[in-house]
Amino acid sequence: MSAENNCVAVKDSFALYLYGELSFDEEERVESHLDACAGCRKALERRREVQVALDNIAIEPAPSLLRSCREELHMRLAEERQPVARHGWWEQFTDMLTGRSGFGHSGWLKPAGALTLVALGFGIARMVPVGAFGIGGAAEMGVMASRVRYVEPASDGRVQIVLDETRQRIVSGPLDDQKIRVLLISAAKDPSDPGLRAETVGILNTSAQSSEVRDALVFALRHDLNAGVRFKAMEGLKPFAQQPEVRAAMTQVLLSDANPGLRQQAIDLLTKGLSRDSAPQGYDRQVIFAMQELMQRENNTYVRERCKTALESVKASTETY
Amino acid sequence: MAQKIAGQVEETALIRAAQGGDPAAFEQLVRAYDQSVLRLAMNLLRSPEDAQDVYQDAFLRVYKNLDKFRFDCSFHTWLYRIVTNLCLDHMRKRKVRKEEPTIVATAEGPLDRMDAVPEERVDGDPQRFLFSGELRKRVKEVLAEMTPRERMVFELRHYQGLRLRRIGEILGTTEEAAKNCLFRATQKMRAALGDFV
Repeated sequence: MSAENNCVAVKDSFALYLYGELSFDEEERVESHLDACAGCRKALERRREVQVALDNIAIEPAPSLLRSCREELHMRLAEERQPVARHGWWEQFTDMLTGRSGFGHSGWLKPAGALTLVALGFGIARMVPVGAFGIGGAAEMGVMASRVRYVEPASDGRVQIVLDETRQRIVSGPLDDQKIRVLLISAAKDPSDPGLRAETVGILNTSAQSSEVRDALVFALRHDLNAGVRFKAMEGLKPFAQQPEVRAAMTQVLLSDANPGLRQQAIDLLTKGLSRDSAPQGYDRQVIFAMQELMQRENNTYVRERCKTALESVKASTETY
Repeated sequence: MAQKIAGQVEETALIRAAQGGDPAAFEQLVRAYDQSVLRLAMNLLRSPEDAQDVYQDAFLRVYKNLDKFRFDCSFHTWLYRIVTNLCLDHMRKRKVRKEEPTIVATAEGPLDRMDAVPEERVDGDPQRFLFSGELRKRVKEVLAEMTPRERMVFELRHYQGLRLRRIGEILGTTEEAAKNCLFRATQKMRAALGDFV
């Protein structure tokens, strides 16, 4: 092999050499070549620097993301562990008929049970008024959950139990069903569950062309305490960044949101709508004022840089007018 | 060495306790690995939403299948098999859709992964050139050009620091095949960064 071919082959091995993944013989071949070839030694150093530069590109997930992953997993595991409660009269009845209860040996009950269920279904279908299982075009199923509020012994040896009962219903329907939409908009504001709000806002994002949905997204962007929910709302509002109410909400984010990522996205989206050729008018002017104000107080270097670049791109001063 | 063995013994005890239904033991197992799982998913998929999906799916699968874990490989390898399969599925779907999100959540909020390194002026200084936007842009392009398997092997070797032998075990292939894959990935990287190397 010529010296030049040797150099090519050795350079091809640099990456694996630097990873320490060459066999003993291959490594030996590279090192003996390096001993004799100054050009390859220099090339190897250069390669090593690039490897180090690649390290700088790696990212560490935000602690908030890890935290939210752990919270969600904790919830989902709790759901997995939850035994299916089967203590209502209906469940006990069907358990008995199907042999799931302590009457497991009573196989003779199964065919009789099946017949009874068919008869019951027929009866119920005749008795329940049409529409009782639906809201508009949506379908639903009901499940009752009970909680003992308090217990009190009575004088005759019996016990009085006060139950709180919550009826859970499963409702399904298309997103354009007004009743479904009302439920989603209400869930997007549920203060008790950020996970539910994030999920709901994600679903609403697909219908943001509706002004009612957009209002809910603007509300989430302005007021939600959870940054993840605000990010999702921002995502849904991106295509509508030219609309005045959306621009107003983004300007508020720019000036007062605690999350630098959201402030940076607000800059990007607001700048997209700015005219680069003529002097800014009306609301564009307010956006520029807001960015100039941000320049005075922004602590995050990256956001400051983005803001500066954005102002320069529309030929605006980075100082306050 | 003694510390490593003690760690393995402790992990085996944790896994057995988790298999026996102890939720605290399972949580401890999750905590031992979840940061590196999330980092892997985030770096490969470059989307906090997708990384979060992978995280949830992976640990739920681990939870549901832990009773099937028979200690015939390390728990790390078993877990990473699940995670890498999920990531590969995401990457393959994305290749089909031709989408390559680059926005990632960082401690500073979501950033483009390739913008994570602050821009510096090049000024003809080759050293600085290594950290320039141009390098980042090219790295981004070449990462997107790699096949999902090449991307995976590169990520596991370069960023997760796993040896090729372990990578082969995780991906269900030989060390030699993983080595070839890494070689192709680094060749693509080298071709793309021709001016730098």
